[in-house]
Amino acid sequence: MATLELKGLVKRFGDFTAVDGMDLQVAQGEMIALLGGSGCGKTTTLRMIAGFTEPTGGTILVDGEDVGKIPPYKRNIGIFFQNYALFPHMTVFENVAFGLKLQKCSKEETARRVGEILSLVKLTGLDGRYPRELSGGQQQRVALARALVTRPSILLLDEPLSNLDAKLRVEMQVEIKRIQRELGITTIIVTHDHEEAVSLADRVIVMNQGRIQQIGTPQEIFDHPASPFVADFMGFSTFLHGKAGGAPRGGKRPILCGEKTLWVAQEEAEDLDEGESCLLALRSESMTLVEARWENAFPGRIESMTYKGHTTRLEVSGCFDEPVFPALGEIPGSGVGDEVLVHFPYRKICVYKA
Amino acid sequence: MDDRRVNWACRVLAGLVMVFLLAPLVVIVIASFTPTALITFPPKGFSLKWYANIFHASTHFINGLVNSLKLGLIATGVDVFLGVFAALAVCRYDFKGKNALLNYFTSPMYVPSVAFAFVLLQVYSQIGGIPGMARLLIGHLVIILPYIVRNTVSVLHVFDWTLEDAATSLGAAPAQVFFKITLPLAKPGVLAGALLAFLYSFDEVALSSLLSTPKFVTLPIRIMNYMELTFDPTLAAISTLLILASLVLIVLMEKLVGLDMFVK
Repeated sequence: MATLELKGLVKRFGDFTAVDGMDLQVAQGEMIALLGGSGCGKTTTLRMIAGFTEPTGGTILVDGEDVGKIPPYKRNIGIFFQNYALFPHMTVFENVAFGLKLQKCSKEETARRVGEILSLVKLTGLDGRYPRELSGGQQQRVALARALVTRPSILLLDEPLSNLDAKLRVEMQVEIKRIQRELGITTIIVTHDHEEAVSLADRVIVMNQGRIQQIGTPQEIFDHPASPFVADFMGFSTFLHGKAGGAPRGGKRPILCGEKTLWVAQEEAEDLDEGESCLLALRSESMTLVEARWENAFPGRIESMTYKGHTTRLEVSGCFDEPVFPALGEIPGSGVGDEVLVHFPYRKICVYKA
Repeated sequence: MDDRRVNWACRVLAGLVMVFLLAPLVVIVIASFTPTALITFPPKGFSLKWYANIFHASTHFINGLVNSLKLGLIATGVDVFLGVFAALAVCRYDFKGKNALLNYFTSPMYVPSVAFAFVLLQVYSQIGGIPGMARLLIGHLVIILPYIVRNTVSVLHVFDWTLEDAATSLGAAPAQVFFKITLPLAKPGVLAGALLAFLYSFDEVALSSLLSTPKFVTLPIRIMNYMELTFDPTLAAISTLLILASLVLIVLMEKLVGLDMFVK
């Protein structure tokens, strides 16, 4: 249980800057997600916190103390590796007990604590098995137990769910969150999956090219991405270019997209001058098909339909110069080539200066 | 062509190869029990006298065996130490010229041992006064190193280095990581390499015959010398014992690490 602080953290590999001046404060017991594509610097950040990689500049503070000079084996940081990294020549018990034995715990103490943690991750009775005799989900829970049993001050999770199938993934999300809450351990999770980040973390940090793009609660980041990049990363599908219109009316501000006027929430577009170009972003699920010509409803033609199980994703052209991609909860009566009216709820439109 | 006919032809060919490999050994083993003074096949009668002759012959086979074992064990022991660390350095770190370094470590495999022995001989005669055992040991240390490096590298090549990170994060200092994680997992390669290296040293003739002194002679050289003078079934008896020893070693290795390590 500890606080973690990164101050101006920088890592360069030759000419390449992997992490470019990262500042972050993590409260005790908080769960933070570092979210970004491959090469964004999230894994390098994790390795620097663990002590495997030496920073080029900046400091890492644990409980207010600079840990830069402390070797990785003395940092007391639990790590969950993407490939689990279970020791193949040791049983489940030996894997989990590895850290305790190094701490010179007595035999009874070791057995008791391994037993406790194995029951916490619901693996009681499998102590004698070797990793190769376990399923993927079981291996993962052994890895989690091994990282937690030494009572580390900070827990680092590297892509914890990327190797699991969809059903197990949801189960493990719940499990990880439950265990993290129960132990109240400060946790940093690295992932490229925005759904994973949003469902696990108290705060999400979106990274790109070694820099923090946005820090916020999952809700903030999911609904109000700070930049088009974050919006794109968080699964916004529809992007429209426009120019800011005149004075707001009734809490709404007009945006001109070609010849059409789209209304957006006033507070979203407050800092735009009249005539300034801007970029609008929408999530597929925010758009709906309507029957009558409401405000912010525009006619278009269905170009393609993709059935995705619980939603059907459409490509509609003609509403604006750029195509829009609504996702519908039910299969619409109309098919490819049909004219439809797409409604763009003004509260769901994010506005960026372009 | 018909699949079954190919299959049949393959079997015959495989059978012939087996016979070709095994027949001489079988002949030697059976012939070693002959009571006659010349190697005959099939033997006329049964006797163990040539086995007894190993101990009574004017040539000191047992002394040669002891020397060969000493030489092989010391050379292998020292080279396991050197070879494992050489392999680790080449596999774990990314640096310029790491492939060149690996080739350098394994180059004694490609240099004719006679040429190498000749060079060593020159050096020894320049220095002078080097004891017989050391003369051979230095040569063997060099020529058997490639077997240990290569086999260890073949394991470390596919080694998951995050295991070392995992152990480190759990509080293991570098030495503990090596002895508890890396070495146990590299063990099959190290043992396989050590066995091959030992057998090569035990069997080595070219280098040993050039470098050995009358005071320190290995078993293969003893056998060669004996063969030049007499050609009786004592040699068949010795060969039989050596074949038996090799078998025991192979079975032991199979129990310890599994033979699949050798066919990689």
